[in-house]
Amino acid sequence: MRNIAMIAVFAILLSFFMYIALNPADFGYSGEGLNFGHPRFTDMDDYFIHNAQNQTASNNVVTSIVFDYRGFDTLGEATVLFTAVLGVGLGLRMLRGDEDDE
Amino acid sequence: MMSKIVRTQANFLYPLILIFGFYIVMHGHLTPGGGFQGGAVIATGIALVVVAYGYEKIKRWIKKTHLTAAEGIGLLCFIITAFIGIGTSFFYNFLANSGLIFGESIPYGINPGYLNTAGTLPIMNLAVGIEVLGGLGAIILYMMAYGREVSE
Amino acid sequence: MIEDIIHVLILAGLIVTAYLAVKLRDLLAAAVVLGVFSFLLSLEFYILQAPDVAIAEAGIGAGLTTAIFVIAVKKTARWEVEE
Repeated sequence: MRNIAMIAVFAILLSFFMYIALNPADFGYSGEGLNFGHPRFTDMDDYFIHNAQNQTASNNVVTSIVFDYRGFDTLGEATVLFTAVLGVGLGLRMLRGDEDDE
Repeated sequence: MMSKIVRTQANFLYPLILIFGFYIVMHGHLTPGGGFQGGAVIATGIALVVVAYGYEKIKRWIKKTHLTAAEGIGLLCFIITAFIGIGTSFFYNFLANSGLIFGESIPYGINPGYLNTAGTLPIMNLAVGIEVLGGLGAIILYMMAYGREVSE
Repeated sequence: MIEDIIHVLILAGLIVTAYLAVKLRDLLAAAVVLGVFSFLLSLEFYILQAPDVAIAEAGIGAGLTTAIFVIAVKKTARWEVEE
């Protein structure tokens, strides 16, 4: 019984993925819902694509968005990583182990 | 400490992984990748040598304090670089098209890619790369250092 | 044609490895299977033309997360117990 359910879930997921993979451009294009390949709002994309090379002198538009136009996102991500390392260090220092280090 | 085969292969692969990681960091404004990805690749190299040699030997070569210091210094450099352009706005790219270091202009469209461009982006890439390599390497070393191994 | 076949094979491998990572009782094998899952996911990101995310996924998912899980399994228990 569980094998039949597993195979059914596998078949449904695989057919869904195959439909998306083989028709990437027109999946949900007309109307509401997911829009792979045809985003509905393109004004911001056109601005970045046409002006990023002149304004930041960077060939990689993704990097120019991540570090320049949307720099606060990267600042938040760096702070999240810093806080994660802080939490790992504070949590693991309670365990026994390498006490004679530094 | 693993077998001699693993250690020899780790000796061979470690400099290549480090070079590839720093390549990703320094060419972040030209090719896909950037500070975060390059730092993650370098931390993978650190994880390779830690797994191959064991923590008892590796803690004399790579110290946790150095990695956490690198993390703090990277984050500080990132924020300072963002603050220098405060005259216009926070995160203002004051070096782009200025003629100074990293200040050359590029033509619009397809071009071969020049390293001396993009203003503050390479500096921020380097800062974030140092921060990420310190942070993720420190997580690996903390996991290896504390707690004791369970034998079944 | 060949890229469609590779794409579909990668998607099938994603589902199979995700199922195995949940199903396996040996946690060390589950961690390795999760690394394979991350590697296939990075290939999928590359096919979908997101090389930045592919590099990050290959470095963090397939490299560091597997190492962290293996270290954690080594310091706790290897076999999953039924409560």
